[in-house]
Amino acid sequence: MRVEIVIRYIGMVLLFNALFLFISFLISIFLSETTDIPLLYSTLIALVFGLFPLIYVQRTHYITILEGITIVVFGWIITCLIGSLPYILWGGEFSVINAWFESVSGFTTTGSSIVNDIEALPKSLLFWRSSTQWMGGIGIILFAILILPESNTSKLILLNTEMSKLAKSNFKYRAKEIFRILLFVYFGLTILETTLLNLAGMNFFDAINHSFATIATGGFSTKNLSIASFNNISVEVIIMIFMVFSGIHFGLTFNTILGKKSNIFNSTIVKTYLLFLFIGLLFVSLKLYVTDTYPWWQAVRYSAFQVISLGTTTGFATTSTANWPAFTQIILIYFTIQCATAGSTSGGLKFDRVLIFFKALAKQIKLIQHPRAIISLKVSGKTIDENLENHTMVFVILYIFIIFFTTLLLSFLDVDIFTAFSSSAATIGNVGPGFGDVSSLGNYSGLPNLGKFILTINMLLGRLEIFGIISLFFIKSWK
Amino acid sequence: MKIRFKILAGFVLLITMLFIAGSMSIYEFLRISKLVNTLIEDNYKTIEASKRMMEALEREDSGILLLLMGKWKEGRQIIHSADSMFYSAFSIAQNNITEINEDRYIEKIKTSYLDFKKKWEPPIVGTNKERDINWYFIELHSNFLLVKSEVNALMALNQDSMYEEASEMKEQAHRAIMPGIVAIISSLIFLVLFIFFLNKYFVSPMERLINELKNFNIHSNSFNADITTKDELKELENEIQNLIPKLKAHK
Repeated sequence: MRVEIVIRYIGMVLLFNALFLFISFLISIFLSETTDIPLLYSTLIALVFGLFPLIYVQRTHYITILEGITIVVFGWIITCLIGSLPYILWGGEFSVINAWFESVSGFTTTGSSIVNDIEALPKSLLFWRSSTQWMGGIGIILFAILILPESNTSKLILLNTEMSKLAKSNFKYRAKEIFRILLFVYFGLTILETTLLNLAGMNFFDAINHSFATIATGGFSTKNLSIASFNNISVEVIIMIFMVFSGIHFGLTFNTILGKKSNIFNSTIVKTYLLFLFIGLLFVSLKLYVTDTYPWWQAVRYSAFQVISLGTTTGFATTSTANWPAFTQIILIYFTIQCATAGSTSGGLKFDRVLIFFKALAKQIKLIQHPRAIISLKVSGKTIDENLENHTMVFVILYIFIIFFTTLLLSFLDVDIFTAFSSSAATIGNVGPGFGDVSSLGNYSGLPNLGKFILTINMLLGRLEIFGIISLFFIKSWK
Repeated sequence: MKIRFKILAGFVLLITMLFIAGSMSIYEFLRISKLVNTLIEDNYKTIEASKRMMEALEREDSGILLLLMGKWKEGRQIIHSADSMFYSAFSIAQNNITEINEDRYIEKIKTSYLDFKKKWEPPIVGTNKERDINWYFIELHSNFLLVKSEVNALMALNQDSMYEEASEMKEQAHRAIMPGIVAIISSLIFLVLFIFFLNKYFVSPMERLINELKNFNIHSNSFNADITTKDELKELENEIQNLIPKLKAHK
């Protein structure tokens, strides 16, 4: 493995971070905030470590898969480290571990926070916090490579490493086109949502921050009470619509805009996913209404938002779900585990895998009944090859195992079982809020430091879809 | 890029990183020292003055009680010295207005103290007020308590501000120390990176050049050090490659 090539690419990612850090610094100067020095110094460090390798290491036309994986995994980790610098340098509620947690949570679009008083944070730091989600939403490596000039072969390797097979499945385009589509949909949705939120009554700063967090399915808000603080039905509806769009494969959204055949309306995955969301919100609203938790229209309003928010892994909230009936909480936990569809900005398990998993189970049952039968597994009319089927089965099992293992570790640290389980599921799924002490309007500040660190590993595992990180532990077997 | 530029760039970046971190720390420490000054000059001075005003008021109260008991000389002596002590402390507070609305607090103290003074300034000994404890409680004590509460309010205002500034100082101390810590860690990582690049792009190619030259010298092997960089080392490799045929021809 050529370490210098890995360093060069990670440096390029840091340059991209430096850009957003500098914008945040300009905001702090404009608003005369106390974050000027922390943001300036963070920009400088990102810039130094980004530029220095470019002086020495020349452009390469090819990178190996191992180099690609190393760039992606270490790129994410180092980005998160640099991302935590403004928090560490500024202080306040940010101890080193809290800053790391907030940074990882931002870049992985998890949206879990340790900040108790978000509104007390300087606006420039809030902007940086939202920017981390926006950069992380599309995949920080991909984003940097998309914009910075590199050879197409290298771009392709990184694209294949950063995006899973499932995510690429709906892109019937060449790599160059995929970059264009991602940029078009990502920027387009962000601009459109910012405009609509602004028209609905949000000020521009809140609108841009919330659209960053929505499109990236992140969930960082600029308010302590998240979306609840606006108490504005139009804002809620706009955010719900964009959360759904952000939870759907970008290629399908692009095709729908262009009126192509393979679009949202023809995709079995999207249709089933939306049906699941609808059934979920129906059950939750019914339970909330029957148990007299809310009148019917409020039950629908709150359940729709919470189900969509967790079902798309965004994590915004319009009410506290901490005191909701257990039945509704279990449904919400299901959505926390299921996550949104592949090819979207969401992390975690992905609905596509859930669908393949259940279809594979059905196939196995049929095979028990008819051992000689040749049954192919189809999703959206496409046959799923056995490799992908096996990969999905292993992934789902590993995913569930990690949730239980993290729950075990957290309960060892005296975290109550409900909080431990829901926070494990919420962090590996990059959802954000869990239940118990870390419910929708609560935060993760009360967890022990080691617990917070474990959860950040979960977030990275969820974002990098587990295998990327795991394969690095077996680096010797690559040789 | 030239070797000189590459090496210089490393040092310049390292120095820039350390210089800016140092400047930031110095800047934050200067801000802290300014805050300490504010703390001492503005708030602490007024708090001390308020304490002295309180003490003067207590002494005046004792003097009044002595007057009530018919001890004119001792009573008036205590009252007059306490009165001058009160005014000296009051003038410190009056000339040290640093907080929002602090002037209003000062004005309230002044008014309530003058009301209080009006009560004990006229003769007490030898009048019907002597030994009249009801007069003391009804006419005087409430004024005494009012001045005390006004002085207390001024003290609380300055104490709150002092607390806020102390908290801010804590934050600034953090901001002064952290760039230093971050700079040390970053510089160490940067140095590792720098050494790695120096080794990778200068030391190793030089070793390859030397080995290739040795090989050529001993075994007359073909010369190829495989230098990929576009700097003086590549030039050197090219020059050696140009020289080799000439050397062979000379032999």
